Amino acid sequence: MMAAEAGIPSAEDAEAELARREARALAMGGPDKLRRRRERGVLDARARIERLIDPGSFHEIGMLGVSMRPEDREATPADGKVTGYGRISGRRVAVVSNDFTVKGASSSMTNMRKIAHVKRVATERGMPIVFLGESSGARMPDNMGARGMGALLGNDPAQYVRDRRTPWAAAVLGQCFGSSAWYSCLSDFTVMRRGAVLAVASHGLASLAIGQTVDPEDLGGWQLHSERTGLVDRVVDTDAEALDEIRRFLSYLPSHCNEVPPRAPAPDETGEAMRAAAGRLARIVPGNRRQGYDMRKVIEAVADPGSFFELKPRFGRVASTGLARMGGRAVGFIANNPMFKAGALDVDACEKITRFLVLCDSFNIPIVLLVDTPGFVIGIEGEKRKAPGKIMNFMTALQLCTVPKLSLILRKSYGQAYLNMGGGRNSDEVAAWPSAEVSFMDPDYAADVVTWGRGADEAERARVRAAMAQDSAVFGLAEINAVHRVVRPHETRAYLLEMLDIHLMRPSGGVGAHRMAFWPTTY
Amino acid sequence: MTKKKVISPVTGSVWKIECAVGQTVAEGDVLMVLESMKMEIPVEAPAAGVVESLAVAEGDPVDEDAVVGMIAS
Repeated sequence: MMAAEAGIPSAEDAEAELARREARALAMGGPDKLRRRRERGVLDARARIERLIDPGSFHEIGMLGVSMRPEDREATPADGKVTGYGRISGRRVAVVSNDFTVKGASSSMTNMRKIAHVKRVATERGMPIVFLGESSGARMPDNMGARGMGALLGNDPAQYVRDRRTPWAAAVLGQCFGSSAWYSCLSDFTVMRRGAVLAVASHGLASLAIGQTVDPEDLGGWQLHSERTGLVDRVVDTDAEALDEIRRFLSYLPSHCNEVPPRAPAPDETGEAMRAAAGRLARIVPGNRRQGYDMRKVIEAVADPGSFFELKPRFGRVASTGLARMGGRAVGFIANNPMFKAGALDVDACEKITRFLVLCDSFNIPIVLLVDTPGFVIGIEGEKRKAPGKIMNFMTALQLCTVPKLSLILRKSYGQAYLNMGGGRNSDEVAAWPSAEVSFMDPDYAADVVTWGRGADEAERARVRAAMAQDSAVFGLAEINAVHRVVRPHETRAYLLEMLDIHLMRPSGGVGAHRMAFWPTTY
Repeated sequence: MTKKKVISPVTGSVWKIECAVGQTVAEGDVLMVLESMKMEIPVEAPAAGVVESLAVAEGDPVDEDAVVGMIAS
């Protein structure tokens, strides 16, 4: 046997070194930091992955990555971000899980390469990406100074392009600044745990910058983001719930944009539950047009039982948007909710609907629009927020869709909102309930407009109003084939199921043309 | 015994109270009707039980998310 060369480790030595490095990586930030997280009821980076993916399916890459700064090599297991591949309900996904116990999961060269790697593989090979966010931003001092900046930042010219080739889901699970914040904004679905913070910079830094104490909840808490900014789709109380929500969201999506979403078992249409739901519809929607109701009950009665997964329930509440199933197939519902603002669409609702149109269209999910709206909100507040521009964004997105769009007018559809909710050629099939009313303006207002300046008394205005109300009856649209079917309330689900089947995109195998794949993620 | 808050879904005013303190109600029963943006908005019982208290009277203004009553069950 040849003598070993001096200084070259033996095979046994190399394996021992591997075991040492793996153990160091798996120890994360050390037992004290991990114990404090457990005491606070917060999962660590690796426990989150385990909870997220199917048992035993995790394949890590970059475990042995460490800081590029020699003095930090022993203090940066996995360089603070755990990356790899797993399965969710049997389907492959890529995962990035931030390890806050390692230098606040701050970004630096090695961990940015790891993220870029799994992003590249997931995009090319058709896998959704899950970003489990909790990070303090760019690492100091690595990113400081001109050379630090130049070496570490801005070297990926496509890093922040959102090309919707595979679904991205993000969780805000602690302080999220820097990369965790960016990926939360770029993702198709974002769930936030109460107590977590999503912001451009920490409240400490913000307090320093403005010389006043800034409350982290005001800066980037769950209420701000679920009610004011709309950057977050859903809010939960624990890490585990957030991970379950991500699994649920992904179950409505395909693995990549060139396939249809997975199909679930269809409910038994002849069963008692389905027939009872059909009967409920006419009772949920009052005949008296002054009476409001919660449109989400209509969606729940029309969709497969228990399948409605509402997005942004507390933002832009006058619109209801959410994923659901019809006969087991994923569908996107967009609806006006007369419970709020009498169903009149405001700027937040326009933003919410536009974003949802982009999601469904990018991932081959057909859209059902349920209409009951007196029009857009009018007034100074909306104008200050660029209402006409937001209405146009909404129209542009609607008209760019290549997935099937089915529109059903339950009661009111007035003015420009008639177009935005799929009226005329803005959807593939327009249907209406028999008592639906469509016109340019609600007769209550329109009568005043046309009699203004004529010295008309109340009796004449009432006559004009009555004549207009007569003309608004939906049969006028049916007579010119601008409404293709008038369906009775209890026939609604059967009608939609039939239309969804007729409008399957057969020539392309269910895949749309994705003309909004690059649509901005916030606007 | 648990208590559940009855929450107003909108900003508006109380148009009609449709229940009485002490009345037994089922989940989903309309407890009161609010007026908001010229629409009648029903406020439903969040759970079955007894109307323990009402925090508003007809004609009162009410804010979104305000507690308008309590159900004991």
